[in-house]
Amino acid sequence: MAAKSALQPLLKYLRVPVQPLSQNIFSISPHLFRRFSTEEVRGCFLDKSEVADRVISVVKNFEKVNPSKVNPNAHFQNDLGLDSLDSVEIVMALEEEFGFEIPDNEADKINSINLAVDFIASHPQAK
Amino acid sequence: MNLLQGKISSVMNINCLRRNLFSASSALPAVQLPAKKELHFWYILPDEVNSANLLNQYLEILSPCEKENIFRMRGEQLKKRALLARTLVRTTLARYQTNCQIDPKSLKFRKNNYGKPEVDWQYSDDWSLPPLHFNISHTSSLIACGVTVDSTIGIDVEEKQRRLKNDILAFARRYFTLREVEMLTGISDPETQRQEFIKLWTLKEAYVKALGKGFSASPFNTFTVRLRDSMEKGTCHASHLISEVPEIIIESSGDPNNPSENWQFVLLELLGSHYAAICMEQDMISGGNGSVPINLIIRKTIPFVKDEFMSSGTDVVVVGGLTRLLGPA
Repeated sequence: MAAKSALQPLLKYLRVPVQPLSQNIFSISPHLFRRFSTEEVRGCFLDKSEVADRVISVVKNFEKVNPSKVNPNAHFQNDLGLDSLDSVEIVMALEEEFGFEIPDNEADKINSINLAVDFIASHPQAK
Repeated sequence: MNLLQGKISSVMNINCLRRNLFSASSALPAVQLPAKKELHFWYILPDEVNSANLLNQYLEILSPCEKENIFRMRGEQLKKRALLARTLVRTTLARYQTNCQIDPKSLKFRKNNYGKPEVDWQYSDDWSLPPLHFNISHTSSLIACGVTVDSTIGIDVEEKQRRLKNDILAFARRYFTLREVEMLTGISDPETQRQEFIKLWTLKEAYVKALGKGFSASPFNTFTVRLRDSMEKGTCHASHLISEVPEIIIESSGDPNNPSENWQFVLLELLGSHYAAICMEQDMISGGNGSVPINLIIRKTIPFVKDEFMSSGTDVVVVGGLTRLLGPA
């Protein structure tokens, strides 16, 4: 039928190129493989080092923080001397930076730069 | 001293001997245990403690683990603050001795399942310590420790002048309840609004710390803290109540018309520079027809140097909550 034949080239265009990749499916990181999945086009994971740079710059911008102390391993309380209100303020600033809401029941766990980076890099909603 | 008295004191001394490891000059004056419904609030001002000798003395009473945590921190001020916080907890609890002197170094601590610190009585060298509850809070300029007997407690201290990086209402909309946002929105003067925000934050933080399950278990937008309306529920306040300040109550977002009667709050303004919020579990058995005020004893301390009672006046102002400030016994 006309509709079906009109659809065919379109379908070929949309087809996910699974065949060439299937041999080395395990050597490709899940991250890369998922980028090609049509279902997940909206939820792409960000590159971890890019996330780290952005998180570090958000934290450095925080007035109370001494920028020279900020490194990827910095703990908000023990290294940067921040208290609970500061930590929540940082979480809020990270939400603004990455454009997604960090649930309150996860916010507790984000008390170091590394944890913030891990959390954000593993969330498809992060922009 | 007759022979019998000599015998009794030597029996007691056998147990005390291994604990008297520090010189008499650095002994901590003994303090009476808090009574029921009584809270002892101790605080230290880091800016007043600068002697290297004294700080080293403090370092000596910490556990190896605590010392290591401090050495790993970077920044002298951070290290000093952490040192003073641990010192405050250990020396404060050690004062509540019943039989003989307690070596603050002998106290052992552990964390509950959610990370809230508590005294580990099982492994503590001193079997005679009563079940004390404590909670600490620190700002860069004031470190506080609250102590009770048989009652869960949470405290939080903040500097009055503290500025928020974010816009106050935006922060409140994100983290507080609708009712609290309405309250803050209704304040037109930005400075007053900021101060009310800080008060609200300390009260909510004190509550979550009292619950002891962390921010995650009780997100701030699941409960409202506010002043009890004088018309509400026909509560009967004790007629001899000294403080005329309003009562602070808490209600869960799921059940707004039923304020929780389990928790009592006190809000103080200290030294004109800090807000201190205290949250204590209320003994429901003695609840009766209204809340019984919390008896509060406030002391400023420099451990091993001096302790001072703080009473109502310019240094301590009760801003909210049913409380009675007690002076020296």
